[in-house]
Amino acid sequence: MFIEYTWLIPVIPLLCFLIVGFLGNKTPQGGGYIAITGAAIATVLAVLVSCEFWTSAAYSDVGYVTQQITWFTLPGGFTLHFGYYIDSLACLTMLFASFIAMLIFVYSLGYMHDEGVRKRRYFGEVSLFLTGMLGLAVSSNFLEMFIFWEIMGLCSYLLIGFWSFNHPDGDAASENAASAAKKAFLVTRLGDVCLMAGLFVLLFAFKTLDYADMFTEEALAAVDPNMIILGSLLIFGGVIGKSAQFPLLDWLPDAMAGPTTVSALIHAATMVKAGVYLTARCFPLFTQCSWILLWVAIIGGVTAFFAATMALNNMNIKKVLAYSTLSQLGYMFLALGAGGYMIALGLEQGNEALIVAGSAGYTAGLLHMVNHAFFKALLFLGSGSVIHSCGTEDMRKMGGLGKKMKITSITMLIGSLSISGFPFFAGFWSKDLIIESVMHASDFGEQTLFLILWFLAIVTAFMTAFYMFRMWFMTFQGVEGVNAHHTHGESPKSMVVPLCILSIFAAGLGFVILFGFDNLISIGENAAGNLQVGSGEGKGFEYITEIFGNVYTWMTIVLVLMAMGIAYLMYSKKTMNPGKFNKNGESRLYHALTMRWWFPQLYDQIAWKLGYGVARGVDFVDKNIIDGTVNGISNAVIGGGEILSKAQTGNVRSYTTVVFGGVVVFFCVILGIFWYMGGL
Amino acid sequence: MIPIEFFLAFAAILFAIGAYGVMTKNNTIIVLMCVELMLNAANINFVAFSAFTGDAMGQVFVIMTITVAAAEVAVGIAILLNAYKLKKATEVDGLASMRW
Repeated sequence: MFIEYTWLIPVIPLLCFLIVGFLGNKTPQGGGYIAITGAAIATVLAVLVSCEFWTSAAYSDVGYVTQQITWFTLPGGFTLHFGYYIDSLACLTMLFASFIAMLIFVYSLGYMHDEGVRKRRYFGEVSLFLTGMLGLAVSSNFLEMFIFWEIMGLCSYLLIGFWSFNHPDGDAASENAASAAKKAFLVTRLGDVCLMAGLFVLLFAFKTLDYADMFTEEALAAVDPNMIILGSLLIFGGVIGKSAQFPLLDWLPDAMAGPTTVSALIHAATMVKAGVYLTARCFPLFTQCSWILLWVAIIGGVTAFFAATMALNNMNIKKVLAYSTLSQLGYMFLALGAGGYMIALGLEQGNEALIVAGSAGYTAGLLHMVNHAFFKALLFLGSGSVIHSCGTEDMRKMGGLGKKMKITSITMLIGSLSISGFPFFAGFWSKDLIIESVMHASDFGEQTLFLILWFLAIVTAFMTAFYMFRMWFMTFQGVEGVNAHHTHGESPKSMVVPLCILSIFAAGLGFVILFGFDNLISIGENAAGNLQVGSGEGKGFEYITEIFGNVYTWMTIVLVLMAMGIAYLMYSKKTMNPGKFNKNGESRLYHALTMRWWFPQLYDQIAWKLGYGVARGVDFVDKNIIDGTVNGISNAVIGGGEILSKAQTGNVRSYTTVVFGGVVVFFCVILGIFWYMGGL
Repeated sequence: MIPIEFFLAFAAILFAIGAYGVMTKNNTIIVLMCVELMLNAANINFVAFSAFTGDAMGQVFVIMTITVAAAEVAVGIAILLNAYKLKKATEVDGLASMRW
């Protein structure tokens, strides 16, 4: 009924993009209301489609519904389609993406209030951004997905560089924004090239890129496993770029140069979530080989740990949040990798129990994706409210804002509790499920590796609680900072209301797993025996006994409480001096963290040494070999012509002599040939 | 009957004299005359072969050649006259302006 209109979900924000782009300045708020209306319609449609999908028995057997038209055909039997593919994962992604984007657009009315005519550009681009994410969620094949994937890459470039012309803080900030936008674009490009190569591999292996045709047992069995492994690894390369995982993680902190609302959009609703979505989408491919998932888990665990360390001593409120995003994304990949590893082993051995156990990891990863979307949107919008109010991003200049900005401080507290994994807040459920599935995975082969990853996850949970509360205490508690004296007070209603709505979700969303939600986003074999999202069995209330009957959960809770206590003592009561631990910012570790573990330098070195070296080599070949050939030929022709023109003396007698000489020589040659052939 | 070798040798000598004249003489009139000599050497060959094989085709060719040669001389002398008017020179060396 509504599912037939799924195609409208990405098309409506696209229309808004066109309307705002052409007519934005003729409407109030630079087209802001149009963008919000578009996002709201998309949200309503997403809710209707999801409701129909989840309640209708017609789709529950196969677990998906797809419809597509032929786009074009290539010689060799390749047909490429355009259409939609709805399953639980697509429903989940479009629900949170459209809803959070709508709230962010509402918030932008207040936050971008002073931008004047440039609001048109802003609202047009964010609408296109939303188109990218929604289109990615509902697309029916890899090629269509890739198109929307690239639209998002373009929009992130445009929006991160929104202030590259005219930054409120001056020219240096403008240049910073421009270089951050370039960096984001180029670094993600590296991943996108991998992804595209992966799509070519899959197209040649499967002869199709449609999800519905590829993710069946027969299709997967008919294809050379090496091609699947190669394609999966290349696709994961694209995911690493998009979701800013190790080693391509450095663009995301720099992307803070854009407006805070854009950061919220990139971190919560779109862009980086696309990588998680794609990994979850490709599970039938990835689980064909267990070590691919092992690789996913390692990348996730390492990123979670490294990003969290860099957040520990950062003074910029937005950068702390950026590193926390990286770290939480690492958690998601860790969960997907650990769960997928168990599923892959289960598929190999035909062990049903292992697939169910792995499904818990998958559920945890997706649940964390949704939870993170809500609390990270909340935290970014809250930090935007703070920045809007006191005009700086440096937390040392804030402090004591709690009294002046009550609502912001309380909603930010809820977000911080949620991301830290404080019991019963949303982040707690998903984070503990993740840590548990990693522990569980260590029971099945690769024990040491998963124990190390588990240890990293626990330490990251501790660090997360510490740096989030460090941020909260530095901003809202303690002595009033320089900029805190002359704040405008609480932000306008359009900014505060989205914060309140988001905080409700950030606090309570975790409970959904107890009430059947986990059925919808678990993974298992459907009636046809194919791996399908939403076909697994969730545990519902069993999770309570599983989580709280586990000694490691209590250990994590104690660690989180300890971290919060330390942050309180250091940054609110100030009875503990943080300078003692880092020799007042002189220690080597502190330096390494400030330098972001030298990742930017590494990039620069690679870019300079490798890129410049290659460029010089190419330049040499171009100048000396290609140009040299062309120039050599032309010089030879010119020189030869000059020499030969000397023969044109204008003297008729010498011409005649040459002619006669020629005749004689010709005659002699003919005679010689006759003689040689035996004719004479 | 005079053997054909005599005719051929005579034509060859005549041709060689003409070629020598074209290659060495400076006066354009003489060069033109030498060209005529070479033409007639060829004519003698035609006639000789025609007579020896009993085929009239060679003699027909000779009449054609003589006609064309008459026209050629007319054109050649007209060019020389014009060249003389322009350059005031009848020498081959004086007419070397078409060079690099």
